[in-house]
This record gives sequence, C-alpha cells and structure tokens, in this order.
Amino acid sequence: MEERTRAYLRGRFRDHYRRTEITPPPAANEREWGFIPWTEGPDTTMVRHRSLLELGDLSEFLVRKRPRHVYFSAGRFRDPGASSMAAKDWQSADLVFDLDADHLPSVTLGEDSYAEMLAKCKDALLRLLDFLEDDFGFEDLEVVFSGGRGYHVHVRDESVLHLEREHRREIVDYVRGIGMEYEELIETETVAGLGRKTPTERRTLEIDGGWGKRTHDHLLAFVDDLLEMDEDDALDRLQEFDGFGEGKAQAALNAARNNREGIESGNVTVHTAISQLAERFASRAVERDNAPIDEPVTTDTNRLIRLPGSLHGGSGLETMRLERDAIADFDPLVDAVPETFTNHEITVDVSRGGEVELGGDSFTVTEGDQSLPEYVAVFLMARGRAEKEKE
Amino acid sequence: MQRLHARYPFLEAARDAVATEAVDLATVVEQDGAVVDRARERVVTAVEDGETGEPRREPRVELLSYPVARVLVSMIGERVLVRRYARAEAATAYERFAADFDDTTELKSVQSTDLDLETLLTEFDLTDAVQATADGYRVGVGTYLPLAEDQWGDEWRLVNRSLTDGDVPVTEDELRSLLREAVRGRIEDGLPFDVPDVIAASLEDEADEVREVLAELDLTREIDTVVPDLFPPCMKALLDDIQKGEHLPHHSRFAITAFLANIGMSTDEIVDLYRVNSTFGEDMTRYQTDHIRGDTSPTEYSTPSCATMQSYGDCVNKDDLCERIPHPMAYYEERIDDADDDDLEDWREGEGEGDDAEQSASGD
Ligand code: SF4
Repeated sequence: MEERTRAYLRGRFRDHYRRTEITPPPAANEREWGFIPWTEGPDTTMVRHRSLLELGDLSEFLVRKRPRHVYFSAGRFRDPGASSMAAKDWQSADLVFDLDADHLPSVTLGEDSYAEMLAKCKDALLRLLDFLEDDFGFEDLEVVFSGGRGYHVHVRDESVLHLEREHRREIVDYVRGIGMEYEELIETETVAGLGRKTPTERRTLEIDGGWGKRTHDHLLAFVDDLLEMDEDDALDRLQEFDGFGEGKAQAALNAARNNREGIESGNVTVHTAISQLAERFASRAVERDNAPIDEPVTTDTNRLIRLPGSLHGGSGLETMRLERDAIADFDPLVDAVPETFTNHEITVDVSRGGEVELGGDSFTVTEGDQSLPEYVAVFLMARGRAEKEKE
Repeated sequence: MQRLHARYPFLEAARDAVATEAVDLATVVEQDGAVVDRARERVVTAVEDGETGEPRREPRVELLSYPVARVLVSMIGERVLVRRYARAEAATAYERFAADFDDTTELKSVQSTDLDLETLLTEFDLTDAVQATADGYRVGVGTYLPLAEDQWGDEWRLVNRSLTDGDVPVTEDELRSLLREAVRGRIEDGLPFDVPDVIAASLEDEADEVREVLAELDLTREIDTVVPDLFPPCMKALLDDIQKGEHLPHHSRFAITAFLANIGMSTDEIVDLYRVNSTFGEDMTRYQTDHIRGDTSPTEYSTPSCATMQSYGDCVNKDDLCERIPHPMAYYEERIDDADDDDLEDWREGEGEGDDAEQSASGD
C-alpha cells in the first residue's frame, strides 16, 4: 500500500470517528487495549499493553490516532497497562466466541464469494446462539459482526467470568461436539423381567437436553419421515445406512411402526436396529448442529478482540453490535457499510479487479484508473487491491 | 462441636476453633508431641496410601494436627506433595461426609458430629448453584466445570451431559464427587506457604521423614523405557486390542494410556501408536493423555492397581510374577530390572520415531 493511500484512509477513518459515538465495553478501564497503526509494509505491529487511562477518552483517542485496527481484551485485570501478563494480574474474562469463514468446513475458500462465506457464517452463528441461549442459558450476550469474515459473541454472565482456560475448552468441545460419546448419552436401568424372565436392561437416551436431545430430535424426525413413506421407499432409505441390510432395515421399520411412542420417550431398547440408528444419528447431530468456532479465541483468557463500533482496516466495514432480533435480517455487506463512505465517488487505480458485492449493489471492477463509490474504493484499497490515484 | 471440627478440619469454623484453641502454633509444635506425631502421620499416609490414617481419640489432637500437617507440607513445598496431600485429605473427607449423609439413625442429636449436605453446600457457597431435583441435583455450569475438571471419565465431560438452561443434571453420587473436589480445592488453596523459621526448626525431623518417603516414590516413577515384550499381561492384551482396531471401554483405554504415559511415552508417541485404530480420535487421545499427564489438570493420574484392573475385568492372562506384585507398574519395573540393560531395545528407537534428532533431520 502506498503512502498516499494510507494517508487517504487515515484521514477518512478520522472523519468517520469524528461523527461516530462509540460505546466502550463494560469495565473498559480494567481491560488491556491495543491497536495497529497505519504503517508501511504488510507486517503490522500491534501497540498493546495499554490501559484506557493511557489512551485517554476513547472517542478522542480514535480521532487522534485513527488506527487501522482497535482491540480490547476479553480479560479484566487489576493492572491492565502492565507490560507482562503476570503483572497485569488477571481477574476474570468475558467468554468470547469467534466464527470465522476461514475456519468453517462448509466454506470453500477461493470458490465461495465473500457474500456466500458471510451467509454460511451467519448460519453457524445461529447454531452457536442455540447452544448459548438454550443449553447454557446465557443472558448477557453481545453479538458482533467482525467487520471482516465473521461474527463474535461476547458472553458476560457473572457465572462464567471466572472460568479458566481448561474449563473454557470444555465449553468449546461442547459447542463443537468434540468427544461426544454415544454410550455416555445413554442411561441404563435394570428392569425386572416379567414372570420367570430374567431381569433386563433398559437403555434410554437422555432426551432432556445436551447432545442427547439433539440426537433424539434428529432420530425422531427421521422416524416420522419413515412413517410417511411407503414400504419400499422406507426400506431403501434405511438401507442407505452403513451396515443396514434388508433384514435390519425391515426390523427398524417394524420397530418404528409398532413402537413410535417408545422411541419418542428415548427408549432405545425397543430393538437393536433402533439403537444402532440412534448411534448414527448422534454423529449426524454433531455434523449438522455443531458450531465450528475458533477454539483459541475462546480458551485464551487474555485474548484481544476487535472493538465494536470501530472500523476494520482490512475491509473498511464497521465492526457492528447486532440486536438479537436484527440478526436474521442483517446483511453485513449492506448494513456494515459506514455511512461516512456512502455519499460520493472517488478515483482509484485498481490493480486487482473482479466482482465486488457491496452496499446492495454488485460491481464488476476492471483494472486501472476509475471512479467508484467511496465504500467500494475503500474496500479495495483496504484489501490491497487498489491505490489512491496520483494527484 | 469440637468433634465435628476434628472430623472436618478444613471447615471455616474449624479454622476459627484452632485459632482459639492454640494461641500459638510455634508452642504447639515445640511442646505437643501427640499433635506433631499425628500431623506427620497425616502427611506420610497421604503420600503412601492416599489416605490420612486413623484419627486420634482426642479431638484436640486431631484438630490441631491439621494445621501442623499443612506446615509440614509447606516446608517441603513440592507440587506433587501438595497434590497428593490434598487429594488424600479430600478422599478422607469424602468418606466421612458420605457416611454422614447416609446415616439415617434417629439418634441424631443436636450435638451430632454429622455433617449434612446443606451445611457443606453453604460452606462452599454452593447453595445457589446446586438445586435438588426429583431424581438428583442440578449444578450451574460455571460451578460444575471447575469441580468436574479433575474427575476421570468421559461421562464427566460437558459434551456428554444433558446441559439445559445453564444447569448440568447430576446424580447424588456425582454431587458427592464434586463436593470432594471442592474440599480438595479448599485444602490446596494457599499451599505451600512460607513457614516461619521458629516453627520449621521444631519440625525438621518430621520433614526429613516426609522427604524420604517422597524420594522413594519418585524412584518408582522414573522409568523411561518402552519394551512391550516386558509389559504385564494385562497391558499387552490391551495394546493388542488397540492395534487390532477394537473399541475399548473407557476404563480400559484409560488404563493403557496411563500406563504408557507413566513409563515415559509422550503424548505425540501415544497418539501415533493409537493412530492405527480408527475408534481412537486423535483429539480424544490427546485430551486423555494430557489429562493423565497432568498437563491439562492439576492431577497426575497413575496406572490403576491390579485390584482395580481386576474389578474392571482388565486383568487377564496372569502369570507367576503377577502373583507377587500389587501393581502393573511394579510388574514392569521388575521385568526391566531383571533384564540385561544391553538387551533392552526401546521400541521408540527401533521405529526411529519420537527421536528428536531424527525428526528434525527429516522434517525439512
Ligand atoms: S495381576 Fe496385575 S499386572 Fe498381572 S495381569 Fe493382572 S492386573 Fe496386570
């Protein structure tokens, strides 16, 4: 990136910060702050270990420094400005989740467009929120569009702020379904046999919550599908499962027909074929429902996270807090375009053109000098695909 | 009250009682031989047997021996001692409160030395986080995670729990195990501390004895040779199963993993070894191995004893040596000792894996 481009972006970031009110995170003065200035070269050095006291008033600081990126720590410290982690004296940390298109198995890098990646990321976000709101019952959640390739969720419920790295890893594993063992979702009970029969074991899937419930939901939905099909289709469907031959498929279908209620209550002893189906749906539940969050972000209790309300220096988009009920309709490529950049066109020299979807429009950008809406120009410059044209 | 405190010396109230009982710990260690002797026994038995030994009849001796035992542990100051000691005290407390909870005799008087669940929950500030349900209890997830951290077994992992609305359902037995961990945390808390010289001076002999006991223990743990031919029959059989790709129940998987870690294999080596078996996920193996090793948890786990192996049905193909040893590690040590050093070929060398020099050479 050339100096005149940097100078332009610096100036426009400042204009943006002048007209924007930023709400700092709670306990802002107990957090470490960091930022990356607009400097030469691709390798960027972060200025960190700053306390808010050192930065001064946040809005005033942003106008003065108009940084490329701004971060604050998930952790709260007794002395956030100390230069070593030990001297900072950790007290607690928000529980933070990061969904990044780069880490989503459903995303094909280099093939999916930016818009497609972000859409897949939002699906994952909704799955994540399912876990956080229903399973974990969290109430103090802040959902943020990162300004780049994904979403962050900051959880600030009192009950989890003290958790350490290892405990947070358990939360990561839960959300991702790592280490889930079908056998552990089963409760075994010995029931007296009828008459002279010997006692038998009754095995029940735990259906009240957790992965047991998710497994059960998938199993039950499948069983209900089966019951609607005619015999041949149902048998074909069943035989698509590994290890399900004709006999086992028939047995499973019969069990589903005769004992749907048993299955609904989680009883997997109704037939071994049902038990085997349930086991397969446990893996399927993980495949379909897991939220592929980036583990280190959640487990690192000292992590720095991008400040909501600030601009992302790699896209020119705004890092935005989202109201819970606005998530469904949120379109990052329209809603996160800063108003500051929407009113006029500027001329840039594009080195790498292509399709750009932004601000509700789609642009086919060619290479060379041209006039573009400022937000498109800023996006391209921030991505290193264009330079400000020479004066 | 005194008896209750003697039985549960980690309670806040017991700490207060000590403060009134013994004006000055320095005087106690200097003059009260019975207290010092019981304190020494607490620590030595903790290291050797994972228990704290027979309580003394006299509540005062029993009660005062606890702070003195903490002094002893602090004088030596080693992590492994702190862990073992805290685990033993917690195990003892667990046995006692479990017995108290189960004690339903009508003869309970106000003066009872029994501890009830309420009191224990209050002691650890858990009354809000733990709620009784129709068939057990619900524990808030923020409370559950630290207390379950060190529990062994996949069933404790959050991912295998019916987490609903922020609560983890647990059975009564599980709640007791979680409380044991709460006790352990309380006991470990603040250990080791700085011991004033005047107090330390009177306890030098006792401290030396504990050091010796620890040293013996350390010797048995320093095997770093992997020769599968010399493995005890049980471990041979488990390793065989793994390599045949069989699915092992978690107690078996734990036993073999702990054994391999205890004889000096690194997490990476164990992961490599298990890779042939598709039912062993790499993440899981890594998690378990790190956990056993104590990297990801404050506790190191050791290989189960023969008695435990037997109770799980993992003791198979016993041979003559088996009759004479109490522990698979002891079996392996004897075989290693008997073998001629030159004949021992460490498996890892044979395969050229896990050797740092070779790895970096081939790593480019
Ligand atoms: S006696 Fe002990 S060492 Fe021998 S096979 Fe049984 S468990 Fe293993």
